[in-house]
Amino acid sequence: MKRTIVPFGPQHPVLAEPLVLDLVLEDEKVIDAIPTIGYIHRGLEAMVDRVEYTEMGFVVERICGICSFMHGMGYCLALESIMSVEVPDRARWLRIIWAEISRIQSHLLWLGLGADAFGFENLFMHCWRMREEILDIFEKTTGGRIIHSVNRIGGVKRDISDSELIAIVARLDGLGKAFEATARVFANDPSIRHRMSGVGVLSMADARAVDAVGPMARASGVRMDTRLAGQNLYDQIEFEPVLETAGDCLARVVVRMREVRQSIDLIHQMVDKMPKGEGLPLENKPRGNPSGETFTRLEQPRGEVVYYVKANGTKYLERFRARTPTFANIPAMIKLVKGCDLADVPNIILTIDPCISCTER
Amino acid sequence: MSNPFRLPMAPRAIRNLFSKPATRRYPYEIRPRFDGARGTIKFDVDTCNYCTLCAKRCPAAAITVSREDRTWAIEHLTCIGCNVCVEVCAKKSLAMSTEAKHVHTHAEVGPQGQRPGHEEWHGADPAIAAAAAKAAAELSIDAPSS
Repeated sequence: MKRTIVPFGPQHPVLAEPLVLDLVLEDEKVIDAIPTIGYIHRGLEAMVDRVEYTEMGFVVERICGICSFMHGMGYCLALESIMSVEVPDRARWLRIIWAEISRIQSHLLWLGLGADAFGFENLFMHCWRMREEILDIFEKTTGGRIIHSVNRIGGVKRDISDSELIAIVARLDGLGKAFEATARVFANDPSIRHRMSGVGVLSMADARAVDAVGPMARASGVRMDTRLAGQNLYDQIEFEPVLETAGDCLARVVVRMREVRQSIDLIHQMVDKMPKGEGLPLENKPRGNPSGETFTRLEQPRGEVVYYVKANGTKYLERFRARTPTFANIPAMIKLVKGCDLADVPNIILTIDPCISCTER
Repeated sequence: MSNPFRLPMAPRAIRNLFSKPATRRYPYEIRPRFDGARGTIKFDVDTCNYCTLCAKRCPAAAITVSREDRTWAIEHLTCIGCNVCVEVCAKKSLAMSTEAKHVHTHAEVGPQGQRPGHEEWHGADPAIAAAAAKAAAELSIDAPSS
């Protein structure tokens, strides 16, 4: 049969970011998909040779506007492990509280975008209305809605008072109730089921073979979550990753919805367990320049992110690299797109939650 | 709650009929910013001693300070609002106001090539400033206490 090549992106209505796929079609069936990346490469990693390591955190934060908190946190964790800085307890708890709040923010954003992609614009607005509350919490506690700039090498810059933490938990509970109404729509609406159920199925064996990460892997039943390693105090709270077994687009939506609820529950536990009181130390300032190399892993909303930092004893790092979750999920995405209908391609691409600005940095 | 007509959005739609809109009419109604939100840098020319620490620490190189000319300048369009300069300022001459950054347009580029977002202060000459301070002090001594 005659083959046609249809370019998908860099400008496509379904995705604001410049993902580029060349889709090889036979009639309406996708036979092959060839990805191209590099449209928004900004060379952020190469900036280490002219930006001091203390200031590099602000650059790393700007890799992506959605997981900016976790990028800053991962960079600081890497530098702290090289410089053997002991981070005060309260600062460590505050970091993971902010991290979980940013996970809720990211998932709500994605659920909205997903709804928009399959044409449910009303639902998109409901998701983003809830996200706005999270951004308010961020503005109140960190000073910024998107770029938080609270992570420092050695701790955090701002404290959240105990009364404020209780207010945040109450607010998240209210948000959780509002979220249930939206979650029911995602779970029960016949048009959503029709678009998502049984589309783009990634089996557990395939997910392992192509090394899918994050909600993508967990929707296929792979019990994989960096938080399970117990770093960053996750060993002190009860945590079990959300798993679904269907592996289709709907399962990926359900995993993210359940993770929103789970994050609210985790924040409850964190606020209960963290050391209370005013004026507790938040920062241990590092001394001297870093020397050595390290790998740091974090579970971002989209999956596992890996930071590699190599320092040579000067104030400029020798090498900094971030392997972001979308980059790891591109092989899985290509595998799903092959063999599907052209009309399902936008849905499948969106359910991996692609962040191209993370991928290309 | 599942309803028999499989219309999961129906309760929400009915509630929306009787509730306030979720959005604001933006230019007429502006949400006040929270305390501690990072907005615009404010500079106090009277207390600055031109130590240049803020310029050295600024990750975006938005601040230029000259000790000789006693000038302090900031490019608001380059500033990333990270708050570092406010934290390092020993004289507390810098403050972060919660007011949102001003929107700059090309119309601000005048015939003299003014830079949008560029703000500059010139401090008084130290000798003159000292004389003024002395005069003010004498004045306050001479003034009858009430």
